Amino acid sequence: MLGPTRESNSNEHPAFAGLEEQIPPGRSLWADGLRRLRRQRLAVVCFWIVVLYLGLAGFEFAVELFDWEKPAFVRWNEIVGPSYQKPMESYEWTDEQGRSCIRRAWMGTDFMGRSTLRRTLYGAKTSITVALCASLISLAIGVPLGAAAGYFRGWIDDLIIWLISTLSTIPYLLLLMAFAVVLRDRTFWGIELRGITSVYLAMGLTSWVGICRLIRGEFIKRKESEYVLAAKATGCSNARIIFSHLLPNVFHIIIIDLSLRFVDFIHAEVILSFLGLGETDKPSWGAMIDAARAELARDVWWEMTAATVAIFLLSLSLNLLGDALRDCLDPKLRMD
Amino acid sequence: MVSAENNPLLEVHDLKTYFPIRAGFFGRIAGYVKAVDGVSFRIHPGKTLGLVGESGCGKTTVGRTILRLVPAVSGRILFDGCDVLQIPPARLKPLRRQMQIMFQDPYGSLNPRMNVETIVGEPLKVHGIASGSSRRQRVVELLEQVGLSPRYLDRYPHEFSGGQRQRIGIARALALGPKFLVCDEPVSALDVSIQSQIINLLMDLQARLGLTYLFIAHDLAVVRHISDEVAVMYLGRIVEHAPRDILFEHPLHPYTQALLSAIPVPQPGLRQKRIVLTGEIPSPANPPSGCPFHPRCPLAEERCRQEQQVLAEYEKGHWAACWKAAT
Repeated sequence: MLGPTRESNSNEHPAFAGLEEQIPPGRSLWADGLRRLRRQRLAVVCFWIVVLYLGLAGFEFAVELFDWEKPAFVRWNEIVGPSYQKPMESYEWTDEQGRSCIRRAWMGTDFMGRSTLRRTLYGAKTSITVALCASLISLAIGVPLGAAAGYFRGWIDDLIIWLISTLSTIPYLLLLMAFAVVLRDRTFWGIELRGITSVYLAMGLTSWVGICRLIRGEFIKRKESEYVLAAKATGCSNARIIFSHLLPNVFHIIIIDLSLRFVDFIHAEVILSFLGLGETDKPSWGAMIDAARAELARDVWWEMTAATVAIFLLSLSLNLLGDALRDCLDPKLRMD
Repeated sequence: MVSAENNPLLEVHDLKTYFPIRAGFFGRIAGYVKAVDGVSFRIHPGKTLGLVGESGCGKTTVGRTILRLVPAVSGRILFDGCDVLQIPPARLKPLRRQMQIMFQDPYGSLNPRMNVETIVGEPLKVHGIASGSSRRQRVVELLEQVGLSPRYLDRYPHEFSGGQRQRIGIARALALGPKFLVCDEPVSALDVSIQSQIINLLMDLQARLGLTYLFIAHDLAVVRHISDEVAVMYLGRIVEHAPRDILFEHPLHPYTQALLSAIPVPQPGLRQKRIVLTGEIPSPANPPSGCPFHPRCPLAEERCRQEQQVLAEYEKGHWAACWKAAT
């Protein structure tokens, strides 16, 4: 009775025939968000700084894993000069082969004469390994629990909420330290927990509450939305609704939360190392700051400064990137 | 259209849908919101029943209960002779192919992370009807059926206008080839010019595919245009049910009369006698005694406060729930 309508009519009109080819393909919210992100120069800079850190950590990791020949900046254990050599000053040094030469340590040396710069660079590996593993563990626990609680409600929800409330009544740092102490140098099912393994396990096991709550709230909200009802009406199973309708719609929230939480994990690693619960035999930023406690009295400021600047730069970049991601990926915050 | 007076496609009997109100630490059930409180109607194949009422009167819940999206407390829903409420949840799929729903909000009813092909093709995938290129072919057909170009296959919902999104919603609802469609306020979120396009598309599809509609709306002009019969709901109950023209020409229930007098007349200078209802719609968690409409009814008397008139047939096919209707 009514044929083509105005909306479709205009597209088929001969005047628009040439335009048809020019219509760009559909753009998903992801592609759209990334396009927005690319337009923010600061976010792009932060992104590359984070990539640099990740690349450095990855490289240090690969060198150890595959036993490659180590380039100079990876050999953090090498003694390059006298104890507590000041930065930027040249000094005379006899190397392993007995040759004498003039050298300059850019960021000075520690009490054993090891390069502060190399130790700081190695600290990136420690910090990022801890933050990455802790994030993955907390996501692996928090997201499924939050999704189950929000979607099924009822007794499952009660149980998970009870667990969350119980965990969050304990002060975070105490809980973290308790876990770190308990897990330290233990063997579970034949796996020995050494060094930082216990640190990121402790962080992962204590920090899933936040993401769990977030996901639960989002699921409760979106479960009643019309697109989920429509999916139910077409006969989609619960698994299909959760995995192909709800999770893709909260995934950007997971990413944003992760980028902001990453910073917390790096800080937590520093705090644990500072308290002597973290990495002890390899350099880490926290351990360097811990060592600087005694050194500052002797006017050795460079180790503290190097570690702090490294932490500062990474935290700032991650925070700015996280904010930019939030602006770009959340469809509700879109300005245009 | 063929009328089959004897075999309604959908028959709803004394349907009740209550939502529990939980209170206190242990989630004790403190009461019920009686969203749908004893609704009965029937729809014949190829016909449209318009369901009207104020917001919060339970009309949306009726539609969702019929599709088993919300659980009913009691009552019977016979669809094509089989009792919908008795089907175990695991065996609802065949029913899903027979009845579908389209929603009010064109922005909320499409998954923003899926493109058109996935949205419209999902029912086909879930029911294992078509896959690969034959599914794409079917999606293209569906899009053409609702007046959208197949060039939009890889587009995402945010790239469409409200009217186009409703068309996508219709295409998705039609994907399984249903006989019966619940249209839950399909045009109330759209511009008036787009409203008529969607309404006309729905009527066109009804004529071509022999669909049966339950058309839920609060816009009386739209309902008059599309419906064969109209039921008026108030506070979870149907207060009047009649063929379209009879209801609009000669309403019996004071609530219907008030609703109809509120329709604006597009004629300047014409003064119309309006029945202005005072007071608020009562809470369905705590409905008034007797006739639920009595606190706002201009004709209410003592009897209305105490007992409720059930739906009674005053003329052929014209049902109303009011003592005063007879006079």
